[in-house]
Amino acid sequence: MLEAVDLSRAFDGRVALDGLGLEADAGEVVVLLGPNGAGKTTTVRLLNGVLLPDRGCSRVLGLDPATSGDQLRRRTGVLTESAGLDDRLSARQNLAAAAAIRGIRGNEAERRITGSLERFGMGHRADVALQGASTGERKRVALAGALLHEPEVLFLDEPTSGLDPTATRDVIDLIADLTRTRGSTVVLCTHLLPEAGRLASRMAVLDRGRLRAYGRPDELAAALWPGLAVDLDLGGPATPPVLGVVHGCRGVLGVEAAASGARVRVEDREAVPAVVAALVAADVAVYGATPRPATLEDVYFALQGEPSPAAPDGTG
Amino acid sequence: MSRVDPAAVRAVVRKDLLAATRSKAVVLPMLMVPVLLLVVLPAVVALGAGRGTTADISSFLDQLPGELAAPVARLPQREQLVVLVNGYLLAPLFLIVPLMVSSVLAADAFAGEKERRTLETLLHLPITGRDLFLAKLLGAFLPAVAVSWAGFVCFAVVANAVAWPVLHRLYVPTWLWLVVIVWVGPAVAALGLGVMVRVSARAKTAQEANQIGGVVVLPLIVLAVGQSTGLLLVEVPVAIAIGGLVWAVAGALCWRGARRFTRDQLATRL
Repeated sequence: MLEAVDLSRAFDGRVALDGLGLEADAGEVVVLLGPNGAGKTTTVRLLNGVLLPDRGCSRVLGLDPATSGDQLRRRTGVLTESAGLDDRLSARQNLAAAAAIRGIRGNEAERRITGSLERFGMGHRADVALQGASTGERKRVALAGALLHEPEVLFLDEPTSGLDPTATRDVIDLIADLTRTRGSTVVLCTHLLPEAGRLASRMAVLDRGRLRAYGRPDELAAALWPGLAVDLDLGGPATPPVLGVVHGCRGVLGVEAAASGARVRVEDREAVPAVVAALVAADVAVYGATPRPATLEDVYFALQGEPSPAAPDGTG
Repeated sequence: MSRVDPAAVRAVVRKDLLAATRSKAVVLPMLMVPVLLLVVLPAVVALGAGRGTTADISSFLDQLPGELAAPVARLPQREQLVVLVNGYLLAPLFLIVPLMVSSVLAADAFAGEKERRTLETLLHLPITGRDLFLAKLLGAFLPAVAVSWAGFVCFAVVANAVAWPVLHRLYVPTWLWLVVIVWVGPAVAALGLGVMVRVSARAKTAQEANQIGGVVVLPLIVLAVGQSTGLLLVEVPVAIAIGGLVWAVAGALCWRGARRFTRDQLATRL
């Protein structure tokens, strides 16, 4: 469905993307993460044939974006970071122009535009010039436009920036729905890690044009932190003797005190009952044992070499 | 090479024109200048002549080239001012209209797209770079020609109607005037377009493009005025040849602009 090999691009000698390699199947959400200037937008432009690579190649929907860009763009939808709407025109007029370029005209265009705007709660503003519209409203109109032709691959650059919490949730639900029910592949650029964590089938961490890591979040986490983290609620920070009891149990890879007890790293969940039993035998009250799998946020910060407040290894 | 997609081209032209008509910064100069030059000024001059304010322009005529002064000097004194101004001096200014309208619209269509951050959305749509360029050209060229022609019709009607009590005959257009309107005017519009295509590639905003373009276009306006004053004095074939020359320069500028108008180059400057 989507594949890139050694994809590279520089602007005036400045490397924007260097040797990117990634792949995604139908129905997957690929999240591109990284600070500003990491190469996320350049990646989207290369994958949709707007930019040409200096080196490497890619295939999207079986097409080479560098040579079959227009053919490809008929089947992809893009939401750019700035929404890209002409404020002098209404939402309907903006979408009608895009629809006409895509070959959707007449009653069919009208039906799709109305339906798409209503889907994003913009039906009431369909015929008003966008001048004065909020960032969130523009974003919703742009999203309606990106989905007008039911694209097989969707590139979304910061789709929820400027949206209120309800609209953010709606967009996340929509993306999840698109991948689940229609098998659309989504490439999502975002700074918002929680939303990325909800959606990501695969994550790519970019930094100054280089791919730091690519894969499924759980696989990347397993590579970073072997075993499983478990939070033990002991009613207060574990004392050194208590930590010693835990450490002596079979299957325990490491343990450290935490505010409400201890964070234990075990080989797998089968080791947890023995840890709890050992603590109870040592007259330590155990109020809870909660497995805490690594989140995408943990993985991201670990790869960036920054501490995460709730990282599974307790760094932070 | 793929065929031009007329529907896609039409969609971009329609969108650009619709948006331009909603912008005061675009519409005002497009309307004010033609109205002032081609309607108000000829009306004032003709009305002035009609009310008997027959200024003695003989000293002014003495300073004009002989070929220009002679046909005016032969007229009765009360006809001289209106024919000189409306028939000769004002007419060359007509070429400012297509030049200015095409420049303003081209700046809005090319540099304005970058300024509004709408260019990237356009680049992600399934329209070839060639069709997009063609649409942008037509979106500026066709209105420039339409405004010029409409302006000229207004000018001819106003100039003839208001001067009728003085002249009792139609004095515009002449055959040479028609060559200027139909052949040279569109060529000048294309010239302005060619300049602005090149300028807009570097400018980040429509205003910047207009400013840089003004530096290039203003001398062209002066040249156009000078040329067209001459045009009214030359034979029709010479006027056609001059128009051809302007077309050639405009074509070369647009062709060079088209070569640089690729998706990759546009996206690189986003």
